[in-house]
Amino acid sequence: MFEVSGLRAGYDRLEVLHGVGLRVGRGELVALLGSNGAGKTTLLRTVSGLIRPGAGTVTLDGADLTGLPAEKVAAAGLAHVPENRLVFPSLSVADNLRLGAWTRRRHASDDVGRMLELFPRLAQRLDQPAGTMSGGEQQMLAIARGLMARPKVLVLDEPSLGLAPKVIADIFAALAALREELTILLVEQNAHAAFKVANRVYVMDRGEIVTEGEPSALKDDPRTRAAYFGGIA
Amino acid sequence: MRRSDLIGLGVFLLLIVLFPLLGSTALVNTGVYALIYAIPAIGLTLLMGLAGQVSLGHAAFFAIGAYTQAILVTRYGLPMPVAAVAAIALAALAALLIGLPLLRLRGHFLALATLGLGIIVTIVANEWEFTGSTSGIFGIPKPAFGGRTYDSPAEYFWLLAPVVVIALVLAQGVVRSRVGRALGAVNDSEVAAEALGVDTYRLRLQVFVVSAGFAGLGGVFYAHWLGVVSPGAANFPLSVEFLLISVLGGLGTVWGALVGAFAVEFLDEAMRQFIPLVIPGAAGEVQLIGFGLVLVLVVALLPGGIHQAFTKLLRRTPAPGGEGGTAGALAPRRHPARGSALLEVRGLTKRFGGVVAVDDVSLDVRAGEIVALIGPNGAGKTTCFNMISGVLEPTAGTVEVAGTRTDGRRPNVFARAGATRTFQNLQVFRSASVLGNVKVGRHLRSGAGLVGGALGLPARKEERAVTEAALGALSAVGLAEHADRPAADLPFGSQRLMEVARALALEPDLLLLDEPMAGLSGAERQGLADLLRGLRAEGMAIVLVEHDVAAVLALADRVAVLDDGRLIAFGPPQEVRENPAVIAAYLGEEESDVRG
Amino acid sequence: MTDLIQFVVAGLAQGGAYALIAIGFVSIFTVSGVINLAQGEFAALAGLTGVSAIGAGLPLPIALAVAIVVVVAVSVATERLAIRPVKKMTTLTSIILTLGVSTVIKAAMLLIWGPQGHTMPAFTAGDLNLGGVSIRGQELWILATCALVGGAVWWFYERTLLGKALRACAEQPVAARLVGISPKNATMLAFVVAGVTGAVAGVVTSPVYSSAWDYGLTLGLKGFVAATLGGLLSIRGAIAGGLLLGVLENLVAGYVATGLRDAVAFVVLIVLLLARPGGLAKHAEARV
Repeated sequence: MFEVSGLRAGYDRLEVLHGVGLRVGRGELVALLGSNGAGKTTLLRTVSGLIRPGAGTVTLDGADLTGLPAEKVAAAGLAHVPENRLVFPSLSVADNLRLGAWTRRRHASDDVGRMLELFPRLAQRLDQPAGTMSGGEQQMLAIARGLMARPKVLVLDEPSLGLAPKVIADIFAALAALREELTILLVEQNAHAAFKVANRVYVMDRGEIVTEGEPSALKDDPRTRAAYFGGIA
Repeated sequence: MRRSDLIGLGVFLLLIVLFPLLGSTALVNTGVYALIYAIPAIGLTLLMGLAGQVSLGHAAFFAIGAYTQAILVTRYGLPMPVAAVAAIALAALAALLIGLPLLRLRGHFLALATLGLGIIVTIVANEWEFTGSTSGIFGIPKPAFGGRTYDSPAEYFWLLAPVVVIALVLAQGVVRSRVGRALGAVNDSEVAAEALGVDTYRLRLQVFVVSAGFAGLGGVFYAHWLGVVSPGAANFPLSVEFLLISVLGGLGTVWGALVGAFAVEFLDEAMRQFIPLVIPGAAGEVQLIGFGLVLVLVVALLPGGIHQAFTKLLRRTPAPGGEGGTAGALAPRRHPARGSALLEVRGLTKRFGGVVAVDDVSLDVRAGEIVALIGPNGAGKTTCFNMISGVLEPTAGTVEVAGTRTDGRRPNVFARAGATRTFQNLQVFRSASVLGNVKVGRHLRSGAGLVGGALGLPARKEERAVTEAALGALSAVGLAEHADRPAADLPFGSQRLMEVARALALEPDLLLLDEPMAGLSGAERQGLADLLRGLRAEGMAIVLVEHDVAAVLALADRVAVLDDGRLIAFGPPQEVRENPAVIAAYLGEEESDVRG
Repeated sequence: MTDLIQFVVAGLAQGGAYALIAIGFVSIFTVSGVINLAQGEFAALAGLTGVSAIGAGLPLPIALAVAIVVVVAVSVATERLAIRPVKKMTTLTSIILTLGVSTVIKAAMLLIWGPQGHTMPAFTAGDLNLGGVSIRGQELWILATCALVGGAVWWFYERTLLGKALRACAEQPVAARLVGISPKNATMLAFVVAGVTGAVAGVVTSPVYSSAWDYGLTLGLKGFVAATLGGLLSIRGAIAGGLLLGVLENLVAGYVATGLRDAVAFVVLIVLLLARPGGLAKHAEARV
């Protein structure tokens, strides 16, 4: 089980997270929603060790991950699929996948096949440099790379960002399939897509969690709309 | 001139007078070398401190100066000062030729090229008969003025010291000048300085040329002191020594070069004496170990050099209120006629690898209106801004500001066309005060060049006007009382407002604001919104990217909505608010919603 | 014609050494952004260590191994003691810093081996004579060794997961950390690679060019030039740049004037920087 409590963090003189707490149970898919600038990406960067928190804790299955550098957090079983995908552009798709399994490289990695089942479009591109693929394919690769580590928890930052609806549908279908065996924390702008797949939803606004609950309960909650759409609708 | 300079000058003058009287001949001799080497080191300090570039071949410029001086004096019988002017000019010319193409590039390129130049100059000096091949040029007379020959170490020291003082004062003038301020800003944030109209390339080139001129001047005095110039004057180890002097003294101030020169020369001398006692039979060059270690230790442990360590010990804080000037509100300014087109964007497109970030966006902004650019995360808003302001080159499409094509040029071209921008991620000039930040915004509204700045006097009146205008911009955002605080100490919201003031100081016709409200308190938001309305009333055109959609709809005359890189709506707020495609973009695509 | 072939072969041999040094520059720069100006000193140190090891009666392969171990140790120590402690490393800082390191190494060599040059005996006696073209045996050794080591490094980066992890670090440092690759270990490994290639270059060239405390400066600078010719980001570019430079130098020395040999590299460098700052290779923006 993955738990964050009282997390404060930010950049330089700006505190972005003002004491954020959330938990994701084993096998759960939890979506974290909120408008731009709410602090979702900062939260993910902090839990995965790219930013050192000022206060608070991050635990995974009872192990304290707070303040560990990103590479140690990855080794502890948290895979972070970053915003903007960040695939290794000159390396082939297959190599990107193999490097995804870096933390358990001593055990032979036969998961590549599984990833190709999940994202069949990657199969034709296995030997192609990842940087030459389309945005949607790169996103699939980034998710697959994260899964290669067989993480205890998978943290996804806006997997639908800048992608065509058809591709988003494919990616969410894959996430739905993964839900059975994985613990997933999903940051998403695309509210409808997130509401469909999530077990539970947290809504974040200006560095704080403002509400939490089942998608069906939150979908029409005015607080969700207010936080999320900044009053547009 | 500041108090610290006066103290430094006083101490230094005392040393000049006393040192040759009290020191032994050998000691004074070392002092003479320290003074000679201090001059190129001052140049190097300017280059590294202001231009953020390093020269690994400064000895090449030093040697060019020395050889020119030697040849002109011994073969053509020119008087020393006349030859010196030519020597300095030639060294500066060499730098101009190298810097012209190379300073457009970043990082290690200049270091590499100057390194190469050093070696080429050594080789040429060795091979060329004109320069006397390996034996060099000898018979250079000791200088004589007014019937007095400066031939002993003490005499030469007294001749040289005033020259070094003048060099230091000139260099200090450059640092304090408009050019120095702009380059200091470039070192903190190049993109922000460019957006305020600072032509980084041009200024860096100027500093590099001046820096080589200093090296040439050092070469002149070297030639006269030694009486002979040989290819060793361009040697790599000498370049390293100059570098060591600069780094050890500290890059924060030109005085560091002088401190460093004495430290290094006496260290060198001490090791020459001391090491053979400890390690019998050790060769003379063993002091290299010391140099190397000192270099590593200084960079690793004392990045500010001796001078900064010393200043830290004294713990002086900048005197508040030191910069005069009266704060008035920003004077209203004439903008182009309301409604005339200021910004025209046509077919703007950006691809990154296989990803299309911005897809065929066209829009125009007129004088006296506020246009908001909104859209979900990743829609391409900031990429659009970056292309419009010249930070990014578009894959396709054009940008015109008041009729001038600016796409694909540097941001300073955008600024020169009368437009500027702020940044989503703050780009504060951290090493400057709040006022210092805003003064950079006046860069294009003032004109003192490098030479004027070095001489100090002509720029003084202009400087007062700059300060006044900067204070006006600061009081417009309500930060006037924080003018003398270090910018890095301000809270986040105030830093954002300071960046707005910095942009306003430019008096732009077109202002691009990237998320100006983020991180501001409620009252600050309100104040900023009022300010923007006031500027609109004066006829300024404002484009803002903002996440707070409610705030945007209340403020903007027209709203442009980007989704997935495409412009899906552009019109008055009311129209956009009800546009189903916009709602779908924000909520996420869902068939029933869109069709229903 | 005979002359030409001889010049080219000698140039390739010398260029092989430049290529190995250049590989060191590239492997460190891509991962850490550090320009290691002590790279040439690694080679000089290896040559001198090799000479001493042979002098102590060790067989050549063991002497080579000793030299590699010593240089890798120095290289790793450089990373640990000089590079790692600096919090905010810029290219400018790294240049000044490694200049300091190179000076320390140089002076240490001067202390231990003295100012005079030391020459290792040729690996095998005799020269090769093919239809009037006489080629020094050692030059063939240099060529063969450089091909072997260059190939091995290329194989390491292109075919092994560890090598690809280093490339990942260079291309996308954040994503590399997120999959668990430690940037510290990667930098360390890059210094090991640079140590090995520098050491091999120093040992194989010692019989021809002899080794001395100040031998590293020009060799290092030329390796740097070779790396820049290749764009500073690609191993293949570094190898090509090294060979090209070596051949060019020998042609100029042979046909124009011996004294101009050392100027070639830097004239080429300046011309290249003026014309194509991204290097001869195409992907100038491989690391954004």
